[in-house]
Amino acid sequence: MSSRQITEKSLSMLRSLPRISLANLRDNPGSKKLARRGRAQHGGDKHGSGNKGSGQRQNYMRLGYETGNNPFYLRSLIDKDRVDITKPIDIASIVKSGQYNFHPEQKEYGINLTDEGADLFAAKINIEVQWASEQVIAAIEKNGGVITTAYYDPHSLFLLKNPKKFFESGQAIPRRMVPPPDAIEYYSSAEFRGYLADPEKVSEERLKLAQKYGYELPELEKDSSYNMFCERKDPRQIFYGLEPGWVINLTDGSILKPKDDELLQYYAS
Amino acid sequence: MATLLRSQCAFLRLFSGKSGQILNNAIDSGTKLIPGSQSVVRQYSNYAHSPFVRRIKEQYDFEVAKNPEEWKYVERLLPYETIPKVTPKESYPSGWVPPKEEAVNHPYFIQRSKNHELPIYLNITYRGIRKISMIKRIEGDIWLMNDEIKAYLKKKNNRYIETRVHEAAKFIETKGDYVHDLREWALSKGF
Repeated sequence: MSSRQITEKSLSMLRSLPRISLANLRDNPGSKKLARRGRAQHGGDKHGSGNKGSGQRQNYMRLGYETGNNPFYLRSLIDKDRVDITKPIDIASIVKSGQYNFHPEQKEYGINLTDEGADLFAAKINIEVQWASEQVIAAIEKNGGVITTAYYDPHSLFLLKNPKKFFESGQAIPRRMVPPPDAIEYYSSAEFRGYLADPEKVSEERLKLAQKYGYELPELEKDSSYNMFCERKDPRQIFYGLEPGWVINLTDGSILKPKDDELLQYYAS
Repeated sequence: MATLLRSQCAFLRLFSGKSGQILNNAIDSGTKLIPGSQSVVRQYSNYAHSPFVRRIKEQYDFEVAKNPEEWKYVERLLPYETIPKVTPKESYPSGWVPPKEEAVNHPYFIQRSKNHELPIYLNITYRGIRKISMIKRIEGDIWLMNDEIKAYLKKKNNRYIETRVHEAAKFIETKGDYVHDLREWALSKGF
C-alpha cells in the first residue's frame, strides 16, 4: 500500500468516524509522566517555591481574595431560587443552597449579614442570622421582611450545617444552649432584633428605625403570608418545627417523641 | 461499659440528692438509673472498690409518630437532589441575567455553568503579569465566534487583540483582561 493510499484511507475513515472531541481523545500510552513531589534528602527541599525571598515569603493574592473567606450574596441566592423565600431562612437553608461555605469547626459562629448592596435588596423575607448591623435591619424591614439575630452553640451549628447526617445518626435532637455572658446583651436587645428580646419592644424599635431611615413600615398583619413571617424558633430549638428530644427516622419517615416525664421536663424550655 | 457505669455511679454519688434526675446530655444514653439502686449512700474507701451499678431500666417511654404533620419541616432540611431550575421573575436585583430563547438561533452556543452563570473567567498567572480571559463551553462554529469576538473587541478597545481557539476543548482564550467586554457581548447575544 502506497503512502497516498494510506492518506486516502485515513481520510475516509475520519469522515465516517464521530467528530473528535475531548470525550474520545487521549494521550498515547506512556507519554505522560506525573510530576511527583521529591521525598529524599534533597529531593523534597523546596517543593517548587525556589530559594528564599519573594517566592517563599511574599504571597501576592488576587484583588478581592479574602484568604479563603468566600462572601455570599443573598440577593443572588434568592434570584437563582437557591433559597426558598416562601419559608423562613436560617443557616440551614443558606448552607443547603450549596453556595455558602460554613466551618463551625474553625470557630465560625454563624452568618454576619453585611450591608453591601443593601440599597438594591428587594426581597420580602423572614431571616434569622447571627449578626446584623442597623443598616441591614433597615434594608430588610423596608421591604416588609422580618429579621432576627439568634445565637447557636457550636454543637447545634454542626447539626444545622448537615441536618441529614445528624438525623441518620439516630440521636435525639439536643437543646440549644443559651448565649455566653458577653453575647447576652446583644441577643436580648430589641434594637438588634435579638431572639431573647421582648416582642413588643421589637415592634417599637421597628417603628423607630423606620422613622430614623425615613421609610414607611409595610403592615405585616395584612400580608397573605403573615403566618410565615410570624414563624420563630424557641430559644431552645435548633430546627424550625422540630422540638428537642425528638428522634427523626429518615428510613421509615417517622418521628420518635419522648413521653417520659423526666425527659419532657429536661427538654422543656 | 463497666467504666462508664462506674463513672455514672460516682457522678451520681456527688449529687446523691438528685440521683434520679438527668443532669446533662452526657449520661443521656438511653438508659436510666432507678433511684432504688442508689438508696443506700455509702462511702467507699476508693473508686475502684465501689460496686457496679445494677438494675438499669432499659428505655424511656416514647411514641412513634408515623407520617407526622411535622415531616414537612424535616423535608425542608434535606439537601437538594439536583440544582433547582430558576423560575422566571420580573426583575433580578442581583444583576444576574437569565439566558434568552433566541440564543439557540446563532451558529454557535455558550452553555451556562451548573450555577446558571456565564462560563467566562479570568486566569491570572506569573503574579499578575499575564492575564488571560477564557470563554468555556462553546458549542457549534467556534471559528465564526472567534472572528466575531475579535471584531467586537477591536472595535471596543481600538486595538488588535490576540485570541487562541482550542476546538477540542471547546474554549477561546483572549490575551488580556476582557472579561467584562466578553460578558457584555455574550449577554447581548442572549447566552
